[in-house]
Amino acid sequence: MPVLLLGVSLPDKRLVRVALTYFYGIGHKTAQQLCSKFSIHKTCKISDLSESQLNAITLELTNMTLESDLRRQVKNNILHHRAIGDYKGKRHAMGYPVRGQRTRTNAKTARKLNGKWLRKDFTT
Amino acid sequence: MKPTLSLLSRSAWKGPFFVKFPGLRQAQETKAPIKTQARSCTILPAFIGLKFLVHNGKDYVPVTITEEMIGHKLGEFSPTRKKFTFRKTKNK
Repeated sequence: MPVLLLGVSLPDKRLVRVALTYFYGIGHKTAQQLCSKFSIHKTCKISDLSESQLNAITLELTNMTLESDLRRQVKNNILHHRAIGDYKGKRHAMGYPVRGQRTRTNAKTARKLNGKWLRKDFTT
Repeated sequence: MKPTLSLLSRSAWKGPFFVKFPGLRQAQETKAPIKTQARSCTILPAFIGLKFLVHNGKDYVPVTITEEMIGHKLGEFSPTRKKFTFRKTKNK
């Protein structure tokens, strides 16, 4: 039985520190910090957690910006650059890397992520 | 969460970096653009509504300051690179 936390289902068999990274906005480092905060040992699985521990984690997670809130935040930050038309906004719209990386080769991540939804928003 | 972001930023006691423009008050009255090469000058709240001509290494790009631009640098709004396009040769 997967455990539902704030709309994200965490598989039972996963380690807690791994399962927490299923959230958008929690990586391995934050997951480990959370585990040490609630004194959960390294090999503890989701199924081994007690009810009170789960509640404590849920309470902690509600105070963080995660999932759709975080996605919206990121999107708004990009839209801010796009709206004022600075260098960063232009690079986003063109689908190029924003922080001065090379574009002669590679730049794969930027081509994959930058500007696709921007272009869709702005042409229509 | 990320201490580096605050540690690597500019010290607060220095305040923002900016350049003094002698004709600032005149420009606010006459709405004449200010020609400048100071791309690293931070946009201050006093600049709102002003027009700048920011140098990009070749010519001066017109920039009108709005409220959202505060805190950015002037140079961010005048791109220094041109997009590459093929041009047909004249004499063929």
